[in-house]
Amino acid sequence: MMKGIVTDIQRFSLNDGAGIRTTVFLKGCNMRCSWCHNPETISAHSQLMFYENKCIGCGKCFQVCPQGAHKMVDGKHVIDRDLCVNCGKCTESCYAEALVMCGKFMSTDDVMKQVRQDKAYYDASHGGVTISGGEVLCNSAFAEELTDKCHKEGIEVAIETNLSIPFEKVQSLFEKVDFVMCDLKIFEDELHKEYTGISNKVVLENMKKLDTLNKPVIVRTPLIPGVTDTKENICAIAEYIKDMKNLQRYELLNFNPLGEGKYRSLDKENVFEKARPLSAEALQELQSVLADMGIEYKIV
Amino acid sequence: MSAIKFINQFPAEETFDYDKRIKLLRKRKVEQTEEKARNGGANEDDYGLIVQDEFQYKLKPNHENGSIYGYKAWTENYCAILDSHPLYCDPLDAFVGKGFLFLERLRPVTCKWNPAYPFDELKVLFDKYNVISGIDNCHHFTPDLQIGFDLGWGGILQKLKEQRALHDESHYEFYDSEIAVVEAIIRFLKRCAAELKELGDQEQNLYLKENLYEMSRVNKKVADGKPETFREAVQWMCWFSMLSRTYNRGSAGGQLDEMLRPYYEKDIAEGILTDEEAVFYLACLFLQDSRYFQLGGPDINGEDMTSKISYLCLDAADKINIACNLTIRVHDKLDEKFFKKSVAYLFKNKQGWPRYSSDSALAEGFMKCGYSLEMARKRVAAGCHWMCIPGMEYTMNDTVKINLLKVFEVAYQEMMADKSEAPSSENLWKRYEKHLKVAVDATGNGIMHHLKYQSKSQPELILNLFQHGLIEKGVNITDGGANYYNMCVDGSGLAVVADSFAACEQRIEKEKKLTYEALTKHIANNFEDEDGEYIRQLMQHSEKYCGGDSLGDIWAKRVSKLYTELVRDLNVQHPGINFIPGFFSWSNTLGLGSTVGATPNGRKAGEAINHGANPNGGFRKDGAVSSMCNSIGAIQPGYGNCAPVQLEFDPGIVNDAEGVDKMAAMIKTIMNTGNTLLNINIIDANKILEAHKDPFKYPDLVVRVTGFTAFFAMLTPEFRQLVVDRVTSVNGNKINVE
Repeated sequence: MMKGIVTDIQRFSLNDGAGIRTTVFLKGCNMRCSWCHNPETISAHSQLMFYENKCIGCGKCFQVCPQGAHKMVDGKHVIDRDLCVNCGKCTESCYAEALVMCGKFMSTDDVMKQVRQDKAYYDASHGGVTISGGEVLCNSAFAEELTDKCHKEGIEVAIETNLSIPFEKVQSLFEKVDFVMCDLKIFEDELHKEYTGISNKVVLENMKKLDTLNKPVIVRTPLIPGVTDTKENICAIAEYIKDMKNLQRYELLNFNPLGEGKYRSLDKENVFEKARPLSAEALQELQSVLADMGIEYKIV
Repeated sequence: MSAIKFINQFPAEETFDYDKRIKLLRKRKVEQTEEKARNGGANEDDYGLIVQDEFQYKLKPNHENGSIYGYKAWTENYCAILDSHPLYCDPLDAFVGKGFLFLERLRPVTCKWNPAYPFDELKVLFDKYNVISGIDNCHHFTPDLQIGFDLGWGGILQKLKEQRALHDESHYEFYDSEIAVVEAIIRFLKRCAAELKELGDQEQNLYLKENLYEMSRVNKKVADGKPETFREAVQWMCWFSMLSRTYNRGSAGGQLDEMLRPYYEKDIAEGILTDEEAVFYLACLFLQDSRYFQLGGPDINGEDMTSKISYLCLDAADKINIACNLTIRVHDKLDEKFFKKSVAYLFKNKQGWPRYSSDSALAEGFMKCGYSLEMARKRVAAGCHWMCIPGMEYTMNDTVKINLLKVFEVAYQEMMADKSEAPSSENLWKRYEKHLKVAVDATGNGIMHHLKYQSKSQPELILNLFQHGLIEKGVNITDGGANYYNMCVDGSGLAVVADSFAACEQRIEKEKKLTYEALTKHIANNFEDEDGEYIRQLMQHSEKYCGGDSLGDIWAKRVSKLYTELVRDLNVQHPGINFIPGFFSWSNTLGLGSTVGATPNGRKAGEAINHGANPNGGFRKDGAVSSMCNSIGAIQPGYGNCAPVQLEFDPGIVNDAEGVDKMAAMIKTIMNTGNTLLNINIIDANKILEAHKDPFKYPDLVVRVTGFTAFFAMLTPEFRQLVVDRVTSVNGNKINVE
C-alpha cells in the first residue's frame, strides 16, 4: 500500500470545493510562491515547527536534542536550523505541543479512517474529499490510490492543483477525480517565474488540455497585493479561461494572512508579512471588471 | 426606573405603521434590557420581566422562617399580588401582559422546601456527589394552552366548581385554592380591560387611542371568555405567560404554529386579519416573553405541520429580532423551503434562533419508554434542552443534575487511598460504577421525596389548570394528577470524566509516561508543583472525547452506557415512574466545576465543567464540527431526552446562498446522526470581546447561552467569560491582534 507524506487532514472544510469536505493536505510543492500561506507544505520532508506562544519554558527539549539545536539567545528560545536534522526527538518530550513535526507518512488506509467518518456530511451536502497540497500532482500516485478508495466508498474527490506538471504524467489522476480546482496565479510569464519560481507555460497548456476531459473546473487566483491583484492580470486570466466549456466559475481568493504564524514557527522569512486582504472597494473594482467580461465569478 | 405606562408620548396626528411600531417597541425593549443588566442581570432567560419601582410586594409568610408553604399561603399571596399588580401598558404594542416579579422568588432562598418534610439522609449523599436534586424546584413541565383556548378563564372556573361538587372534602383544599386563584385572575384581567379603556380616553394620539380601545375590547373578552380571533388568542397567551411567570416562573411553550393556525385561517377567511397584522401580533408575542415554542415537525400521522403561520412566525421573529426561543423539529417531510428560510434567518440575524431538534432521535428514544409513535410526536420542545407533551406529563425537566465529575473525584480518591489494589483505569472504573450507582439511586429517591411532598411546599396552582384530567382528579400534579411521570435525570460533566479516564489510560498505562502516584501528587497540588504544568500539558493533550474514534470517545460511550443503565434501573426501584437520562449542565457549568479539585485531564481545581454534552476545548486541532457531532450523537442516552450539541460559529462562515446550503446540509446531517437537539451561536469573536469589556456597548447582542438565548449584557461577568471562552476557543484565530 502506498504511503504519502501528509501535512494535515482537515475535516469539516467549507472552502475547498462543493459541500462539506475533508481536505487532505499533502506535503511537497514544485512552486515557490513567495506569498504561500501554507509554507509548511512546500518541503517534501518532515519539518520541525516551533510555536513559541505555546512554550511553557520547561526546557525538556534542550535535554533531549541530540544535535544541541535548541539554544537560548538573549533570553529567547531559538532553534538552530543549521544543526536541526528534523529528527523529532524534541517533539516527543514537548507535552505543550509547542514543538511539532509537520508531515507524517500515512497510508491511504490511514487517511481513509478519518475520511470516512464524515460520509454522512458529504452525502447531505454533495461534498467529499479534497486532496490539496503542497502540490497534489507531485504526489499523484498516492492521490490516485486515495481517489480509488474514496470512490469505492461512494465519496467524491476533488483536487486543488497548480497544474504545473506535464499533462501526460498526471492525466490518469485528472481522469479519476470528480472535480478540479486549479490555480492560475499570474498570466505574464516573467512575473510568474519571478514570484513562483517556474514558468506558467505548462499551466496554461494544461488548462486547455484539462478542458478536454469534461471535468468540472474552478480556476482560482489568489489576490496578492501588488502582485496578482492588478486589473491587467485578472483580465488576462479571465480572457484566457472564459471560453473553457467545463469552467464552473472563476474564483478570486482574497489574501490570507493566516500563514504568518507558520512562517515564524519554521523560522522562515515571510516576504508578505505586512500584506493585508484587499479592501471591499478594491474587490468591487475587480468584480466590475469580471462582470463586464460576462464570466461567472466568486470572491472567496 | 422604567415607566410602566407610556401615554401621550406622540403628537395627536402622528401616524404609525407596523414596522414603525416594531422598531419603537424593540428600541424600548433594548433600553429596558440595559436597565435590567445595570440592576445586576441574571444568568438565565429574559422572561420579559420589567424593572420598575411603582409596585413592590411584601411576602406574607405562613412559617416562622419567613417562607410560604402549601395551598393556602400560595393562594393568598398570589391573589394579593394580582389584586394590587399595576397594568403595564405600551400603546404601541398590540397586547398587554408584562409582569414584574415571581412569587416563588420572594421566598427566602434557603427556605424553599417545607422543613416539615426533611430529607437529611439524602442531603449527605447530594453533598458528597454534588447532586442538584430538584427537590422544591417547580414548573419545568408543559401546560396545554389549548385547554385555555377551549374554555377561557371563565370556563376553567366553571369546571373547577362543577368538579368540586363531585368530590369529597379531601379535595376541597385543592379546589378552593384553584377557584380563588382563577377568580383573582378574572378580577385582575377585568380591571386591566377597564383601565385600558381609561388610558384610551387619555391618549392624545388618534391612532394609538384606537389601539387602546381595541386592546380594552380584546381584554374584556379574554378576561373570562374564550378567545375567538387571532388577536384574542395571542392576547390570551400573553396573559397566560405573565400569570404563570408571576406565580412561579411557570413554563409554557408548545407547537405555536398549530395552536394559532385555526384562528389565523378563520380570521383570514373572514377578512378580519392580514398577514402583515399577524406578523405584527406574533412579533409582539415574542417581545412579551422569550417562551419556548416549536415550529414545523410531524403531526401524529407523520405529516409535516409547517403551514403559512409557521412562515409568519419566522418573519415575526426576524422583524423583532431579539432573544427568541424557537425550535424547528427536523424530520424527513419537513417543508424544505421553510427549513432553508429558517437557516437563512439564523445566519442573517446571528441571534441564536432558531434551534433544531431531531424528530427521529427523539421519537425513537421516547418510544423505548413504552410510548406510541403518535404520543412521541406530541412531545414538543418546551425548555432549554427539553421536550414535553403539553398537558400530559410531569417531568422536573432540567432541574435535576448529577455532577458526574464529582462522582469521578470520589472514586479516584478512594482508589488512591486503598493500598490493597494497584491503581488502574479498570480499578477506577469499578469504583466509578459503584459510586455512580449510589449517586443515581439517591437522586431517584430525591425525586420520589419531591413528588410525595411538593404540594405541601409549592403546589402548581397555575399549571395544574392546563393538564388533561387533572381538574377532574382534584389533586396537585405531583400527587398523581398527571397522566405520565417522566422524570428527567441529567448527568453533567461527561467530557471531563471521559477525558480524565482517557488521559489516565493513555499516559499512565499505555505510554507509561508517569505513575498514578505522581499524577495524584500533581492533582493534589493543582498542577502548580515542580513539573506540574508540564504534566498538565501532557494530560491535557491526551486523546479527547469528540476527537473521532479516540480514547476519549470510547470512555464517553462507556460512561454514557453506564449512566443510562443506572437511571433506567430507577424504574425498577420505583414502579410507575419513568426516569429518563440525558446529559446537560444548563448554567451550572461554573457551579458544578467549583466543587471539584483538579482532574486527570489537566483541568485545574474549580474550573468549569464542560457545557452540556459538548467536548472540552481543543478536542481536535481542526475543531471539526462533524467530528464533534458524530461523538455527541454516539453518547445519546436514547430514551427521548436530550444531550444537546452547542455550536459556535464565526459570522464569516456563511457569506452567500451557497454557505446557507452548506449549513442546512450540516444541520440535517447532525439531526440524522443520532443527535437530539442543536443550538447554534453565530458570534463575531471581536464583537463579543468588546461586549465583554463593556456590555452596554452592544445592549442588543443576543447569545444562546445554553438552551436559552439571552441578552449578553444581562449575564454576570463570570458567565460572560464562559461564553467568550467558548466562542474564542473556536473562532480565536479571527481575533484582531493589536
